[in-house]
Amino acid sequence: MLAAGVPSPVPLDELEIHLRDEIEQRMRAGFSPQVAFETATQQIGRPHQVQGEFQKIETARDTLKWKLQQLALVAGAGLFPLWVSCIVLFKVGGFSQTTPGERVSCLAVMAVFSLLFWGGRLSHGLFPVIPSKRTRDAILVAGFILVAVWWMVFFNLIVPRYDFTAGQFGVAFLWGFATPAGAFAGLTWGIETAARKPRAASTT
Amino acid sequence: MIRKELVAASAEPLILSLLASGESYGYAIIQEVKTRSGGKLNWTDGMLYPVLHRLEHRGLIKSRWGESETGRKRKYYSLKKDGKTAMHKHHEQWSLIHGVLAGLKKEKYA
Repeated sequence: MLAAGVPSPVPLDELEIHLRDEIEQRMRAGFSPQVAFETATQQIGRPHQVQGEFQKIETARDTLKWKLQQLALVAGAGLFPLWVSCIVLFKVGGFSQTTPGERVSCLAVMAVFSLLFWGGRLSHGLFPVIPSKRTRDAILVAGFILVAVWWMVFFNLIVPRYDFTAGQFGVAFLWGFATPAGAFAGLTWGIETAARKPRAASTT
Repeated sequence: MIRKELVAASAEPLILSLLASGESYGYAIIQEVKTRSGGKLNWTDGMLYPVLHRLEHRGLIKSRWGESETGRKRKYYSLKKDGKTAMHKHHEQWSLIHGVLAGLKKEKYA
């Protein structure tokens, strides 16, 4: 079973216990231990068939999880730019001191953010198909680390060098924060969508 | 021997119905089905567990690890409220099919 790759250790536990019960039962019925073992393992079924059935459950779970993740992504892609645009347009907080030019720049950041975010989803056909979840996760973690490093460098090293007004700081903050965030989210969405496309096609 | 398509289709209602009378574990479920069908409904043992896990994933049954009288670790399954509803639906559908078949049979041999 392990060699056939039955996915989780829990079903393996259950199958092993089941096998032991079946062997005991057959031995009580008069079979030799060897025959009892062989017939019981035959009765369990072929490993690849059992694995296939468990795989269907994993796929169903993964599909549901992916739907929820996509809902979160759509909410993020829609609500964040909307929220920031409202703050900018209605001059809330630090944005009350922005000039018209700075406000246009802020709105441009949100446009770029949305473009990068949705661009990843819409251009998923251009992304390589990476079937291994582990590899995809590694790419996304590496991407997030890069973005986090950029944020640290930008806000700790670059921004303090300039004597920004409140409005200029708002603009710099949005460009420094939202652009890489949008690129990262778009990359995530594109890679994950590309990876699921062939699977969806093969299950229909 | 019953055709494998019918065996597969009947697995869910049978498991739910068996669990309706109390919690049970994989091996016991298979033995119960075998006994009740006079050995004619013979599941491939390994195929029961994916069905149990799928039912659990759908929230129709729940499981807990426990110990048998001999101290062996066992996973016990029991019916949830949604499982009971699903079981009733299955009973209605299977009764309908049975009713139609019985009616046709009666007409043919009347």
